[in-house]
Amino acid sequence: MNLINHIKIIVQTTNRFPKPDFESGYDYPERHYFVPNEAFWSYIDIAMLVLLMSFVAWAVIRKQVRWPVILTSIISVAYFGFFRHGCVCSIGAVQNVALALASDSYTIPLFVLLMFILPIIFTLFFGRVFCAGVCPFGALQELVNIKNYKLSKTVTTILSIFPWIYLGFAVLFAVTNSRFIICRFDPFVGIFRLGGELPLILFGVVLLIISVFTGRPFCRFICPYGAILSLFSRVSFSRVKITKKGCINCQLCHNACPVDAIRAPYENKVKENRSAGVNRILRYIIFLPLMMIAGATTMYLLSDNFSKVNKEVQLYDKVSENEIRPQEIQSLELQAFYGQGRTVEELKTQVAAIKKDFRIYSGIIGAFFGLVIALTLISLSTKRTRKLYEIDGADCVGCGRCFSYCPQNQIERG
Amino acid sequence: MKAYERREFLRTCGQVIAGGTILTLFELSLRKAMAKGATYFWQIDPTKCTFCGRCETDCVLPMSAVKAVHSVKICGFCDLCGGYYRPNVKELNTAAENLMCPTGAISRRFVEEPYFEYSIDEDLCNGCGKCAKGCNSFGNGALYLQIKQNLCKNCNECEIAKVCPADAIRRVPIAKAYNLKL
Ligand code: SF4
Ligand code: SF4
Ligand code: SF4
Ligand code: SF4
Repeated sequence: MNLINHIKIIVQTTNRFPKPDFESGYDYPERHYFVPNEAFWSYIDIAMLVLLMSFVAWAVIRKQVRWPVILTSIISVAYFGFFRHGCVCSIGAVQNVALALASDSYTIPLFVLLMFILPIIFTLFFGRVFCAGVCPFGALQELVNIKNYKLSKTVTTILSIFPWIYLGFAVLFAVTNSRFIICRFDPFVGIFRLGGELPLILFGVVLLIISVFTGRPFCRFICPYGAILSLFSRVSFSRVKITKKGCINCQLCHNACPVDAIRAPYENKVKENRSAGVNRILRYIIFLPLMMIAGATTMYLLSDNFSKVNKEVQLYDKVSENEIRPQEIQSLELQAFYGQGRTVEELKTQVAAIKKDFRIYSGIIGAFFGLVIALTLISLSTKRTRKLYEIDGADCVGCGRCFSYCPQNQIERG
Repeated sequence: MKAYERREFLRTCGQVIAGGTILTLFELSLRKAMAKGATYFWQIDPTKCTFCGRCETDCVLPMSAVKAVHSVKICGFCDLCGGYYRPNVKELNTAAENLMCPTGAISRRFVEEPYFEYSIDEDLCNGCGKCAKGCNSFGNGALYLQIKQNLCKNCNECEIAKVCPADAIRRVPIAKAYNLKL
């Protein structure tokens, strides 16, 4: 491949017109092509990421104060958002990692890998401190959020399936090297760059308007990275507590949380006996695989449609149509295809391989969708006994709003 | 109490699984990250580019980060420049209807009979590639398109790369941020 390129360069630069012999002592001008110091900036990015996450973790877990979260949000929006223009971000890095794991030809930059893995590590230790205010998207929504109109539990649970679906497709299109859809449909990057595709910017603005009235619609119902983080924060070593003094069930904090992460006390009226419990578990054991198989089959059958997103597949469709009915005016793709001397056979084998990849990965991801949907349904049908107001680690983004609502914390400050 | 203990146990299991997942993911992708020739910038391969015009329209920036560049060392310094004048111009003067560049980004300076030196004003060039097409069809191919790294946002996925009919836009190593012909 490389060799061919070199040969082509030599061929292309054989001059139609010879190099002029200047008599007037002409000096060729020097042309400079500026290369920004990306390495330097990526070090700064990583340092900022770690620093801000540690700051938030210290504030919400150790000190139980909110002002550092607001400060971090402002810094993050200014630095990661408006200064660095939000690229590469941890959310998008999911796709780079997926592609790197699946493809041999793609080398992921270490910097992007760190962007992906550091927030996950922090989440395992301290909960979603990345979401709190380090992520520029979360930070932006956090800063505009004023009121918390509550959505019903069922609605939020159903809606929060979407990030998983989005994640699944993002991974599908990333591993097949087709498209980075998270980057393609990023609603906020246009705002940070002060320009971009109008529909997406409008979508971003709408999201921001919604987040004035209810907390973080993007984080809760769209963000695929948030979905991953919620898994890790479910089991995090230390987590945000509303108060360290012990809850007195005053209910005051309940409405403070913008993402509905505070669960009210609940008592299961009917005590489930042993055989009923075993029965229930058995039903799940049958239900889960069934849903997974259903998901896998559906996605497998649809995989051919998904493969149309891939550029080579699109090209193949165009080329084979042209082979059957040669077109008068050839599209740019066809001109380039024939111009580069590629053969239909070669493309055909390539496309067959891509379609095969699509079938396999669609199947796997379909099973995963089935699992997510099944688990969501199960979680809707079961309720856990709880005596005090508690924070659900998976949903809590560590914004620290609940601290000031708890009377126990007020006493402490005197 | 029993429920509490069970919960704690499940949590520890979860932590072990989570920790294991992170380590595996990190280890596997680190191998890829450490592989030789890590690439970072997007750049156009001038040997593949067909000057289709999409570079002008598909960049995420309002004014494309793609600009025409001019390699003086392979330029013929022609008076009748295929990139400067439109094909079949009647008179070689700088009236706008004779010129290839829609934005007037190319200027030329008389060097000596019959040679002219060409240069491109980066602020005006919109990356349409008309000049490059002209120069590659009728001249030495000294004009071609490159992504200017100081303007490019280095999107995680270059929008133009995904619509480029010639598949000319690829990641390049930082050390070779431009594919210059000479
Ligand atoms: S810190 Fe409190 S208010 Fe903020 S997300 Fe967590 S539970 Fe909700
Ligand atoms: S889109 Fe591709 S072929 Fe078209 S001008 Fe840009 S680099 Fe050249
Ligand atoms: S013709 Fe197009 S690519 Fe060439 S200098 Fe003018 S604007 Fe730039
Ligand atoms: S990476 Fe983004 S900014 Fe750079 S040329 Fe491609 S679309 Fe334009």
